[in-house]
Amino acid sequence: MKLVSYLTATRGRSRLHWTDWLTYAYLCVGLFLMFGPVLWLVASSFKTEAALSEFPPTLLPYGQKSVMVPGEEKPKPVFRVKLPDGTMKELPEIRRIGLMATYVDPAKPEEPIRVNIKDRQPVREFRLATENYSDLMRKLDFGKYLWNSVFITIVATVITLLFNSMAAFALSKYQFRGRSGVFLFIIATLMVPPAIVLVPNFLVVTELGLLNSLWAVIWPAVATPTGVFMLRQYMLTIPDELLEAARMDHASEWQIYWRIMLPLSAPALAVLAIFSIMWRWNDFLWPLIVLSKAEKFTLQLALNAFQGDLITQWNYLLAMTVITLLPVTVVFAFLQKHITQGIASAGVK
Amino acid sequence: MASLELKKIIKDFGETRVIHGVDLQVDDGEFVVFVGPSGCGKSTLLRLICGLEHASSGDIFLEGERVNDVRAADRGLAMVFQSYALYPHMTVYQNMAFGLENMGLPKAAIKAKVGEAAKLLRLDTLLERKPTQLSGGQRQRVAIGRAIVREPKIFLFDEPLSNLDAELRVSMRSEITGLHRRLGSTMIYVTHDQVEAMTMADKIVVLRQGRIEQVGSPLELYNRPANRFVAGFIGSPQMNFLPVRSEAGSRLATTFGTAFSLDIESGLAEGKTYMLGVRPEHLSLEESPGALSLALKVVEVEQLGGHCLIYGMLPDGNTRITLHCEGQQSTQIGDAVVVYAPPANCHLFEKDGEERTIR
Repeated sequence: MKLVSYLTATRGRSRLHWTDWLTYAYLCVGLFLMFGPVLWLVASSFKTEAALSEFPPTLLPYGQKSVMVPGEEKPKPVFRVKLPDGTMKELPEIRRIGLMATYVDPAKPEEPIRVNIKDRQPVREFRLATENYSDLMRKLDFGKYLWNSVFITIVATVITLLFNSMAAFALSKYQFRGRSGVFLFIIATLMVPPAIVLVPNFLVVTELGLLNSLWAVIWPAVATPTGVFMLRQYMLTIPDELLEAARMDHASEWQIYWRIMLPLSAPALAVLAIFSIMWRWNDFLWPLIVLSKAEKFTLQLALNAFQGDLITQWNYLLAMTVITLLPVTVVFAFLQKHITQGIASAGVK
Repeated sequence: MASLELKKIIKDFGETRVIHGVDLQVDDGEFVVFVGPSGCGKSTLLRLICGLEHASSGDIFLEGERVNDVRAADRGLAMVFQSYALYPHMTVYQNMAFGLENMGLPKAAIKAKVGEAAKLLRLDTLLERKPTQLSGGQRQRVAIGRAIVREPKIFLFDEPLSNLDAELRVSMRSEITGLHRRLGSTMIYVTHDQVEAMTMADKIVVLRQGRIEQVGSPLELYNRPANRFVAGFIGSPQMNFLPVRSEAGSRLATTFGTAFSLDIESGLAEGKTYMLGVRPEHLSLEESPGALSLALKVVEVEQLGGHCLIYGMLPDGNTRITLHCEGQQSTQIGDAVVVYAPPANCHLFEKDGEERTIR
């Protein structure tokens, strides 16, 4: 009820105010622009390869109806056939040779009917081509790619949180010579375009012998200036008295970090975790460079590998795209409140 | 329980010197209050004692041992912060147990100690709450409880009541002094409120700009302030000051013509200006023999029921005099009244330098 009244809220009391029209029009256009492509993608991922190349394209996935015919191993496609006597009937096609096709009436299986292919129309029905997904799981080493992606995302996020929060703790709560210098230096790296450090990073990773290892994706990504900056700004708002109280309470510096600072920075950590998950999951260029063996591919790389030079299996590609999108969508949907909160608190304060 | 001694403590923050060579002796079981206007260095002094700041020079002795280089945690002191500094993500129990856990005490012992302290402070029903679910007074008690469980040698309080409303402040005041009586521990309490200082302290330390102005019991400070600053700071409403000139025969004359004689042992140089100080409660509307008469034009009257405060302007036009009268007075704004300052209750201060007390 709350949702309904929220969605149907208007400015005008009884009639729609002109701003209502404008608002709804704007929102509808926005919704279409944002969600149209995604819905199109999801709908298309359930189409067969044939349906995808059809023109004009359909919005919903349609497939040709097929039935099992006694005496045949595979299901046979159903056609709307114009019989020699002029009547129309839906019949399964047994075989087709040249311009002539053979049909059989399940009621009278002993009498095959031969019809010119001009006189028949395929019968189409709404059908989800779930085989796009199930084939993917079987044919591809999908589990392997998924595992690689998940491993990179989780491990990199955990390490990112740990490293960045430690740096932020030192930069926000300790007085030492060159503190602002170090901080400015970290922030300055934001100004270096990633493309520029691509080659140096690659050389470092090669020298460390990490090429074609998942750690080659994880290590260069864990120290993020954005994360350090965000966490530092948040930690500055934590009163020093808490740390002093903990120090009086016999807490070591490590305990202060682990038991006081980390729990209190939870909102900022949540934001960074979400960002890190999205960054690592969607990362493409860097994994493409350092991971060249198929068994080390992440989902994104596997997706890319689908797009061959000559043929692209669009149905599988689309299905895989949907699967790849899912985790980030779910993360975002559940944590979006934290995201806005965290950005607001880390940025404004 | 312990004694504390500060010897020539100096503290610099960069170029600025905030503590200028403080010497102080705090005896075992004493309740000492550091009082002074904001920025006088009283909180810094407390932080030096507890080890959160390091003295630039000078020595701190705890039970006769030099502790300058001992970490804050190992000095065995406990501090109650102005903002309470409760860990917001922990429950009351966890807040109180945190220090004991860090010291590696067994769980059962922690539980016993926390339970005991909670009972003492009437917190036993609130142990599972988070600090945000507590009222100001309850938070205050948790902060004190966190100090008690550690059985510190000295309790340090840094303006603990400044975040509470007036009514609660009065009741917490007596709760803290009650605690001091029960535990018998040494306590050092920082405040800028002279009423708190007067009501709670065994010994008051008045600070100004990083220097100790006077140390003494509340009544000593009230009756025999060392200088004009202490005289003005201790007592509410503030002591009245008016310039006087010494004349022959130990007589003192005001700038507007009245005069009286004040008995001073050392005698006064003739023709010098001094500051005469007299507390509002010592002024009287009734004439007494030998008293200095002050003609006032009343500018404000505050009726408080039990007593009233009358503010008047002296004929010189820029000295305001406050008068404290018992009962209710019919004096109106604009009235002319004459008040009398009996010589027995008058203080006399130097006009320049440290404005030391002559009488």
